[in-house]
Amino acid sequence: MKGLIIKDFLNILKNFKMVGAVLIFYAVLLVMTGNPEGFVGIILMLFAIYFLTTYSADENVKWDSYALTLPISRERIVQGKYVTMLLFTLSGFMFSSILMLIYNVVQNQKNLFNGIKTNAAIAAVVILFNSIMIPVINKVGILKARIYAVVFYMAVFILGSLISDKIKELYPAPPENLVRFVEVVFKNAHIAVPLILLAALIISYIISVRIYRNKEF
Amino acid sequence: MNALELNNVTKKYDKFTLDNVSFKVPQGTIMGFVGENGAGKTTTIKAILDLIRIDGGNILIWNRPSKNLPVELKAQIGVVFDGSNFHDNLTADNIDYIMRNIYSNWNRKVFEEYLRRFKIPSDKKIKEYSRGMKMKLSIAIALSHNPKLLILDEATSGLDPMVRDEILDIFLEFIQDEEHSILLSSHIISDIEKVADYVTFIHEGRIVFSENKDDLIYRHGVIRCRKEDVKKIDRKFIVGIRENNFGAEVMINNVDLFKRQNREFVPEKTSIEEIMLFVSRGKEVNV
Repeated sequence: MKGLIIKDFLNILKNFKMVGAVLIFYAVLLVMTGNPEGFVGIILMLFAIYFLTTYSADENVKWDSYALTLPISRERIVQGKYVTMLLFTLSGFMFSSILMLIYNVVQNQKNLFNGIKTNAAIAAVVILFNSIMIPVINKVGILKARIYAVVFYMAVFILGSLISDKIKELYPAPPENLVRFVEVVFKNAHIAVPLILLAALIISYIISVRIYRNKEF
Repeated sequence: MNALELNNVTKKYDKFTLDNVSFKVPQGTIMGFVGENGAGKTTTIKAILDLIRIDGGNILIWNRPSKNLPVELKAQIGVVFDGSNFHDNLTADNIDYIMRNIYSNWNRKVFEEYLRRFKIPSDKKIKEYSRGMKMKLSIAIALSHNPKLLILDEATSGLDPMVRDEILDIFLEFIQDEEHSILLSSHIISDIEKVADYVTFIHEGRIVFSENKDDLIYRHGVIRCRKEDVKKIDRKFIVGIRENNFGAEVMINNVDLFKRQNREFVPEKTSIEEIMLFVSRGKEVNV
């Protein structure tokens, strides 16, 4: 499995020159506009997108058919992608957090860790996003998965706004129980978020393995 | 012992069926797997490598079912597909680093030796390689973990004769060890004729023959005669007939017996390529 992770990281790093250029562009733009939190968000999103490019690279060279001839089981191939995704998101988080710290030091911020929480929240969203994407990619391939993702997230966004407007109309004030529940979740986010992510990853992994075991190449 | 054995392997698609494919690759031999494009060679290899589910039959690698083959046995198989399976931005050095973290039996020295022998620069990106260099790199990878079975799908297609010859020599070297075996799929019959001990011919998803190459060549012969003389040839010997403006060519089987029974015709020596052409294209001619 280590070899698979190394392969993905090498593939990503080989394309990093372009990412570096994009990052510098956004860094200049966003620091000038005084919105460093937006900048770290973009860094993490770029890392998420670059993780997905490993699937495109694999498809281009029919890597999976070849990988299955190597002394690796189908389960290990799936595991390799999840570990790559987590390591890559963690790298993105570390990288953007260090930049955030540097920015805070340069700006003489009272709280040096300002913005790190936002950064962690974005990393959590990235992991959740990829947990949904990986089984879909395993099922339909990266090209279709990208289209499905756009359609899915647009549908969620549009339907979500419509439903939320409707609920606001019917219940101008949210139920107290719900408010209390949300408050509890937010207060215990350091426990709740990792638990939610763990559950999402486990479910996602089980579905992916099931799909990959039956997949033909 | 057989390195590889397929028994009545069947795989059905909408427009193609791999139909009861059976053949064996004895250990210590090279099996040439031939057939026209779309005959089912790649589908058969995918079935052997457990890349597709088969609908019937069974496949054994060293007497073990190929389905979910233990990783220790997979580590003894080297596979080369048509084309490179590594990302274009990687170098041979990168591949060495990846492979030594995949194969417990990866032999770095052997890999470097092949790179030197094939004149493959280890620090150059794959995208800068020629097709021949890419194929040679794939073969170097397949040979650098001390495999006992090589499975090659059209590994020599699209290469110039010099490179093909160089690669075929490597296969002949590899097979010097009697534990080693090769399944070499190709539609370039001259390559198969040069190196194979056995030949399996697949046509429209079915195995037409799977035999010792020399026996096959010795047993067959071609008679060149006038069109009207074809009727004089006993039909039981005829494999196929080709007619042209100058007369007819008849491929016959059991040449020795034919010679004893027919003094009128003198069969000429033939080749695997000719046998294949007569079997696949000459059969439909009415005698």
